[in-house]
Amino acid sequence: MKKIPFLLGVFALAIISSCSGDNAEIDTEYPVIDISAADAFPIQCSTIERGQTFTFKAKFNDNAELGSYSLDIHHNFDHHTHSTEVNTCETDAVKTPVKPMLFINNYTIPSGVKSYEATAQIAIPADVDPGDYHFMIRLTDKEGWQTLKGLSIKIL
Amino acid sequence: MKNALSIHWKYCFLLMSLLFSAAVISQNQPSEKKPEIKELNEVLVNNNTVEKSKKEESLNVETVNNSFIQRNLGGSLMQSLQRLPGVKTISIGSGGSKPLIRGLSFNQVIVVENGLKHEGQQWGADHGLEIDQYAVNRVEIIKGPSSFIYGSDAVGGAVNIKPLPLPSQNTFGGSVDITGKSNNAQFGSSLNLFGRNKNWFFDSRVTTMDYGDYRVPADRVYVYSYEVPLYKNHLRNTAGRELDFHLSTGYSGEKLKSVFYFSNVYTKSGFFANAHGLEPRNVDTELHDKSSRDILMPYQQVNHLKVSNTASFNWGNHGFETQIGFQKNFRREWSHYVNHGYMPPVYPEDMYAPQDLERQYDKDVWSFSAKDEFRIKRHEITVGTNVVTQENAIGGWSFLIPAFTQFNAGLFAYDKVELNDKWFLHGAVRYDYGKINMKSYYDWFESPVSENNQTQMEYLQRSEDLTKTFNSFSWSAGVNYNPGNLSLKANLGSGFRMPIAKELASNGVNYHYFRFEKGNPNLDAERSYQLDLGIEWQQQNWTFQLTPFANYFPNFIYLNPTSALDVYYGAGNQVFEYEQSKVFRYGAELQTRYYFLKSLSAEIAAEYLYSEQKSGSKKGYTLPFSPPPSVLFGLNYEPQIRFLKESYFAVDYRITGKQDHIVPPEKKTEESHVFNLAFGTKIKTGKQDISLSFQIQNLFNTKYLNHTSFYRLIELPEAGRNIIVSMKIPFSVSR
Repeated sequence: MKKIPFLLGVFALAIISSCSGDNAEIDTEYPVIDISAADAFPIQCSTIERGQTFTFKAKFNDNAELGSYSLDIHHNFDHHTHSTEVNTCETDAVKTPVKPMLFINNYTIPSGVKSYEATAQIAIPADVDPGDYHFMIRLTDKEGWQTLKGLSIKIL
Repeated sequence: MKNALSIHWKYCFLLMSLLFSAAVISQNQPSEKKPEIKELNEVLVNNNTVEKSKKEESLNVETVNNSFIQRNLGGSLMQSLQRLPGVKTISIGSGGSKPLIRGLSFNQVIVVENGLKHEGQQWGADHGLEIDQYAVNRVEIIKGPSSFIYGSDAVGGAVNIKPLPLPSQNTFGGSVDITGKSNNAQFGSSLNLFGRNKNWFFDSRVTTMDYGDYRVPADRVYVYSYEVPLYKNHLRNTAGRELDFHLSTGYSGEKLKSVFYFSNVYTKSGFFANAHGLEPRNVDTELHDKSSRDILMPYQQVNHLKVSNTASFNWGNHGFETQIGFQKNFRREWSHYVNHGYMPPVYPEDMYAPQDLERQYDKDVWSFSAKDEFRIKRHEITVGTNVVTQENAIGGWSFLIPAFTQFNAGLFAYDKVELNDKWFLHGAVRYDYGKINMKSYYDWFESPVSENNQTQMEYLQRSEDLTKTFNSFSWSAGVNYNPGNLSLKANLGSGFRMPIAKELASNGVNYHYFRFEKGNPNLDAERSYQLDLGIEWQQQNWTFQLTPFANYFPNFIYLNPTSALDVYYGAGNQVFEYEQSKVFRYGAELQTRYYFLKSLSAEIAAEYLYSEQKSGSKKGYTLPFSPPPSVLFGLNYEPQIRFLKESYFAVDYRITGKQDHIVPPEKKTEESHVFNLAFGTKIKTGKQDISLSFQIQNLFNTKYLNHTSFYRLIELPEAGRNIIVSMKIPFSVSR
């Protein structure tokens, strides 16, 4: 009977020692996609012309180290997607795709950087379906945190 | 960071003060605690048997019965059990969940029903366990590796659903269960019929469940950065239905017992419509919000069929048992075709799969096991073997894991030594062999591949023919010491788990999490070493139980989020790849109950878990789905009321700490305070008593997030206030 408090004490000690944690700093922050600069392109509701090449421009930041990014343009003829942005853009009527523009590419970011000005040349073929499209930017940092940005754009 | 530490310390302090107060109240205050008696008609399972076996078992085992389930009835079996410390769930919606025992789940925890290992699609967080909770009489939960009993997969623990007790001789009767829930407008009913003459018996059950979209205390949610407005607080398209059949029948004589089990569990349930596919989606809100009970796309259908026979007979000193079983799990996920990667924009007419069938998994499992229990002096020895073979086919227009076949066989010996009535020793060894054979798969569409500045269209190969074999030796050793009111236990054991097809060979998009998952064919079998301790104090007015553990995995299989993005099938989504890392985990659960009066008691149940990856690319991070520390304060009043029996009134207050230990893509979860109210009684009517139980879950309609919910990543809050009424009306036709 008298052993009980003693035993409880032993367990309490065990808990104390296990609680005295060791937390090394780990990265729990998402990278940031910044398209607020004046020359950032595309932004929400941007328009792009067929048969032309445009330059993607955005600024990426991370607290520790950036990873990589991908760009993806796919049609929104069925109005399936909404964007991550607050304001909405005018959309055309729903239609069935014939030859929609499809662009998927990933890009490296030099290792060890916390901030990066991303630019990429993207050519729009002349024969693709015009209409509403979605422009996706996916950015990771080195630890695997990912941030998405979905923009509504129009191909004329 | 500072804040996180202070919370951490708050809980440590709480645990310690609990220990201290427990030590202080160790005074005797005799009050008679009646032994609870559970019954299926005349069959009695006395709580003392459970207590006794607990004292003779060196693993940490919790046993609950159907009245516990009725009192704490949740949307699924595991949700009803999560009041137990150390037991949590990974829930999807209001009707499905997977067990999470001390932070481990999926293929690291096994579920056994009527002696047969349940084989569904355990790896998926997006659907529940195919078990009918009305058909459950008694559940044993083993918190810790129990591979030596069950073989591969039981590294984290086991949920063992015991066979129903047999009806007593010359009876014919049954019961009706009716349940209603306010939050998702659920109606459930279950009809049971059983009978027995001298030796032949049957026990049957039909369960139906029908529920609408569940409601949350929020009018909009944010799926990643996408804002989604909710109509009347309903989580769009989370309604579901369930229809289950059970039959057990057979012969029970003095020397021989043979029981056939048949069950079929079918569920159809919707996924939250705005968060399925390749990116958060706009949905036709007019169509979806027309009714809160319809199940539109995306939805899933799961059918689980089980047929088995268990035969046992005694021969001299030996008790033999054989079991042969067949299971078929058939799961389909339906969703509108969304082309991604280089899939054609319009679904081809001549495709092998229907346009809306996104995925299909078809699993057939045959199993056989045999064991012999015998006594030699103080030794109670069990030797046994089991052989399992399974075949998995895939279908649908999308690809995540290949088709595969698998074979497992194991051999084990277990010895329990009763030195005297205070000391018990345990020792077990087991050898396992496993072989998995994965099949090749090519895309049904072409993708552009660039080589030397030349771009060609190719059908990409997503998986190759691959055969892997694994061998494993596991062991366990334990001791029990029971001097009077006190019982102490210790167990050191190892467990193992063979990598599954998803870990070895997945190569596709997980549509729920918008990520690309990639298998690793070089994975080794996962090993685990665990030390379990248990201290228990039992006296008439006071019980106390503390169960600490420490656990080490030299090669935990972990789905690592990388910084890469996939440009083919993944359409730019982030790549997650399986890796192995060293993992160290420790934790404890504490349960104590104090009787102020014979009818009034207070209870505290707390749990704490810490996990850390000690190597690999996420060194220093925790593991996914790590449950935060939590404490439950319960007050229970059981007055004696005329014409009523076993009346109770209970309040539970659960504080769940915030979880700052996260790993990508998880988010930190704030602490939460939730109150539950439960009351019920049995009305005496002739021979049978009608039992009634009421619950109000989330009494104050608190908006909170559950760190281990499937929908946590997309920030969906937990269900709001939910009033649950259930009634059980037993009847006996003759005896």
